[in-house]
Amino acid sequence: MTATREAGLTFGGVLRSEWVKLRSVRSSGLTVLGASLTMIVAGLVFASTIGTDSDGADGVTDPAGITLSGVLFAQLVVGVLGVLVVSGEYSTGMIRSTLTGVPSRSPVLAGKVVVLVGAVFPVVLASAFIVFFAGQAVMGGAGLPTARIGDAGVLAALVGSAVTMTGVAVIGLALGALLRNTAGAVSALVVLVFLAPGLGGLLLPVSWRDGVLKFLPSSAAEAFTSVAPGPGLLTASSGAAVFAAWVVVPLLVAAVLLRRRDV
Amino acid sequence: MIEVVGLSKRYGPKTAVDGLSFTVEPGVVTGFLGPNGAGKTTTMRMLVGLGSPTSGFTRVNGKPYRAHRAPLREIGVLLDARAVHPGRSARDHLLALGATHGISGRRVDEVLEVVGLTEVARRRAGAFSLGMGQRLGIAVALLGDPRTVVLDEPVNGLDPDGIRWIRHLLKDLAAEGRTVFVSSHLMSEMALTAEHLIVVGRGKLVADVPMAELIASVERGVHVRSPRSRELVEVLRGDGVRISSVTSDVLDVTGLSTEDIGTRALQAGIPLFELIPQKASLEDAYAELTRDVVEYQGAATSLGEAA
Repeated sequence: MTATREAGLTFGGVLRSEWVKLRSVRSSGLTVLGASLTMIVAGLVFASTIGTDSDGADGVTDPAGITLSGVLFAQLVVGVLGVLVVSGEYSTGMIRSTLTGVPSRSPVLAGKVVVLVGAVFPVVLASAFIVFFAGQAVMGGAGLPTARIGDAGVLAALVGSAVTMTGVAVIGLALGALLRNTAGAVSALVVLVFLAPGLGGLLLPVSWRDGVLKFLPSSAAEAFTSVAPGPGLLTASSGAAVFAAWVVVPLLVAAVLLRRRDV
Repeated sequence: MIEVVGLSKRYGPKTAVDGLSFTVEPGVVTGFLGPNGAGKTTTMRMLVGLGSPTSGFTRVNGKPYRAHRAPLREIGVLLDARAVHPGRSARDHLLALGATHGISGRRVDEVLEVVGLTEVARRRAGAFSLGMGQRLGIAVALLGDPRTVVLDEPVNGLDPDGIRWIRHLLKDLAAEGRTVFVSSHLMSEMALTAEHLIVVGRGKLVADVPMAELIASVERGVHVRSPRSRELVEVLRGDGVRISSVTSDVLDVTGLSTEDIGTRALQAGIPLFELIPQKASLEDAYAELTRDVVEYQGAATSLGEAA
């Protein structure tokens, strides 16, 4: 056997390792592509059906927002990808190989976050622009009001939507690392991102409702991504801070537990 | 070199490893032998930091595993052949693990060749047979060209060819001066590869002995058949020699080697018809060592393997 005494363990190496892992499992690419298609198809469907009901053109108050309607569904897709990046290692036993190579452990989590963000963000950002321009064209063709990229808040909405989706992917990753189980983490993600606003609206006492609901990740994200924010939301900067906390806090807890727990 | 010092691991009320201390030296194959549930895997997991000890510590090549700058170059482990994503090819699996340490694709191809997986390197690991999975696990262990190699039950799932191959591999690795630590629950397997044995039972150290010493300890004297056995008794009698007669022409002699007995009989002109060293099998020695510590004891009349 030839000696190969070269560099030791480096964070750059961990990043390359995580990239190889992500690209070498076919489902990762398909999932990112699926998120992109979900965004584009859902946005175009909404753009071409809006204004066909009794409200007509009067129903179109936020043309940019209409073309971004797919974000809600697509973020669940990238969220599941985030979950799988970690939980897939636990379900297959791969995590033991991984952590044997990187016994300090936290670099693995950091590497996964960087690679996930790098794989998701450019794609969803591009998809946001594609569906915006295509959707505005569809709506313009139907004689409905449209938005332009230079309009107030539109660029922020596009970039903000991509940031939100990427953030949900990282929340998924953190949940995967916390729960170490695909089904559990996906359920937690669906509840947090999708069901919590509706359930909260139903179950919480009226006096608390508005105070609590605006702090949920989806409402916090809406505060900094909407061109025309609905009532009862945080300011854009508070919304961004709250959303960031939803991303960072679970990740930090996951990092601490990853170092402590046996695998 | 591997040092295990006062190592314990408790899972709730159950103690998997109980105050274990031993050292594994480089240059020889050291067997880690014990019944199922004796704490072998738990100990090996703690060596590479996958489990943390309740008390005590381990060191690999002089340092705690986590303190090494290039862990994969210090110790290569096979703990669980299934620690692989089934959707990933064998080559990508190795590339991903090696990338952390800047290990090149060339080295990956080299270990694939060593373990005989070159042909299937680009196939999904999920489609691998048990034996191929085991070979991939061994490739992972060798990837960093480590100074210490730790393999948990490496022959599991291998065909006879594979088993012969792994025996040679272990001996070659030890001959290169590496520390080689291999667990098994089969004495018969250890007898063929290991030069030193660490025997555990119920998480405790039962024996830490060179294989040669263990073999010597199970010698049970020499069976001698001669038509002139009475005269032979006079010739062999001496300090530390015990002779019992089995039948009128058969003696059981302890305290003398077959060489001694044969030479003395020749000098006295006594013909010998049989001169056979008696040995209990290593399996018997092992069974005796671990009799009190077997976790899951079967009925008295057990069928099949007694290990």
